[in-house]
Amino acid sequence: MTAILDIQDVRKSYGSYAALKGVSLSVNQGEFIALVGPSGCGKTTLLKQIAGFEEPDTGRIAIAGADMAGVPAAKRPTSMVFQKLALFPHMTVAENIGFPLKLRRTDTAEIKKRVGQMIELMQLKGEYLTRYPRQLSGGEQQRVALARSMVSAPKLLLLDEPLSALDVKLKKVLQAELKRLHRSVGVTFVHVTHDLEEAMMLADRICVMRDGAILQLGTPADIYYRPAGSFVSGFIGETNLLPITISERTSSGLIYQAADIVDTDGRIAADLVAGKVAKGPALLMLRPELLRVLPPGETADGAIAAEVTEMFGKGGTVQYRARTPGGQMLVVEIPGTSSLPMRIGDKVRLGFTKKDIYVFGVEA
Amino acid sequence: MADEVPRSWRDPDLLIKALPTVLLQTTCFLAPLVMTFLLTFQRSRNFQLQWSWDLWTWTDVFSKPHYWTILGHTIFMAAATVAICLIIAFPIAYGLATRFKAWENEIKVLITFAFITDATLKIYGWALFLDKNGMANYALSSIGLPPEMVAFLYTDWATLLGMVYSLSAFAIFTLYLSISNIDRSLILAAYDAGAGKFRAHWEVTLPLCKPGIWAGSVLIFLLSVGAFLEPKVLGGGKSPMSAELIRQTFETRVNWPLGAALTLVLMVVSVFIVLLFSRLIGLKRAGLAA
Repeated sequence: MTAILDIQDVRKSYGSYAALKGVSLSVNQGEFIALVGPSGCGKTTLLKQIAGFEEPDTGRIAIAGADMAGVPAAKRPTSMVFQKLALFPHMTVAENIGFPLKLRRTDTAEIKKRVGQMIELMQLKGEYLTRYPRQLSGGEQQRVALARSMVSAPKLLLLDEPLSALDVKLKKVLQAELKRLHRSVGVTFVHVTHDLEEAMMLADRICVMRDGAILQLGTPADIYYRPAGSFVSGFIGETNLLPITISERTSSGLIYQAADIVDTDGRIAADLVAGKVAKGPALLMLRPELLRVLPPGETADGAIAAEVTEMFGKGGTVQYRARTPGGQMLVVEIPGTSSLPMRIGDKVRLGFTKKDIYVFGVEA
Repeated sequence: MADEVPRSWRDPDLLIKALPTVLLQTTCFLAPLVMTFLLTFQRSRNFQLQWSWDLWTWTDVFSKPHYWTILGHTIFMAAATVAICLIIAFPIAYGLATRFKAWENEIKVLITFAFITDATLKIYGWALFLDKNGMANYALSSIGLPPEMVAFLYTDWATLLGMVYSLSAFAIFTLYLSISNIDRSLILAAYDAGAGKFRAHWEVTLPLCKPGIWAGSVLIFLLSVGAFLEPKVLGGGKSPMSAELIRQTFETRVNWPLGAALTLVLMVVSVFIVLLFSRLIGLKRAGLAA
């Protein structure tokens, strides 16, 4: 695997505001990578540097091994799908899709052929070719925008939250479409979104950003089950973070104490601990669906005593909220068909398996 | 659409609501036009209007090439004014809408002030500036150049200068509105697709400015066609334009029927040209009319 995109310590400031504080990232050929983070985290700024709309203050961006410093957007082997799509309102669908080819002095017959292929790839109707963008629905416009970006066979397709303006149902359809498109064309996708759930669905790897820096880069499973800290863990879904105290940290793992947890041996293996964790206070993460209700007499690697305070049906699952004697609130999600239903006020023991936990440091 | 229109005509509520507008349009616009039209069938003898109801005036208009030469000259000057105004206004409007955002309001106020200052004042100002003993010549001769400006005042060029000066603000404002409505990401999309700066302007900015270019052109064209101060003061009345001819016909020659006929000819020709160009430009096709 070769790196199609290589970003080395890129920094960018607007006046006194530092939008990117030294970002390094390497993306493999054919990969689908998502840049995720709250607004103002620098994800769109990073995309602009890759596309060439802006030049970084310092650092290096290389695409397919070529340094992009001083190369204008028009000359880069990248193509962008804009948040507002940016379809040219004065051009027909065919003219829009063919525009990048027209600029490359492709001959008319070839343009027509390639536009036809794109229309087919995007599953658009042939009769749309002569229509104007405003005569199409939101989803169709989206497909036209994708077709325009793909027609010139870019090495990198950059997507700047193109799905954020769509309603939930259409969003799901187009997410599936994007995934299918990525599989069928094999182009490297860099997708910017503030929606981690969307990133989880689409991306091979996710790059979580905050305040102009990368917090974590990993597979969706890494991000979900092995987050680098409480920010990443809280960015998607619900999670339980239990305060613990690490009394001993060795290369093989750690020994901890926690007020509410009854642990069989009080040890956690090193592969379940984030790299930087040292002696002292830390957080133990447990996803709600990894807690289960222990029948009387049964034991688990670890158990937490709690009293059920609230319950919400969620269709296939039921979510409970429970309070430990120490006052810590826990979220538990169990299948709706569970043989051990709980009621509000029940005193229960919630068990977990050691391999399901993850420990990271307390963030400032 | 087809069945909505007749229904609205039968809607008494709508008719009542439209009545003030209809009355205003009829009394203030349509009635004078009809009166002007009727006036062309009369004659003027010894500075007296005679109700003769014949085609004498129209025969006069169509038999004298002099009137048509002046009309042609007027149209040509108006077209030149439109072209020069657009060329000057485009970079100014573009800069206002994009580069000089921080100074936008200050610049707009300045342009507006220059624009609403009384036209007579400005035109005489130019005449004084370009005069034989004016500032322009003084400046030229003080740096050792021949006082060339003497040859400039009282020519068509001076007339053009005056008209462009008076009317370019229309183009600046209409173009400014068009350009500032263009989504910045469209320009970025053009760059991204592989367009250089010039190409992006040509393929995206310019076509999307069409409504502004068109609105400014129509305003400037129609106002130029009616200009009489500039050709008189700056052009020295050497090659009069239609508006001056009409004024003379009414005031100096006191030939109201002929004046009315010349007015109608000018109106019809101007409107015809505007309609012809709107067809050629094809605003509808681009779907930018709204």
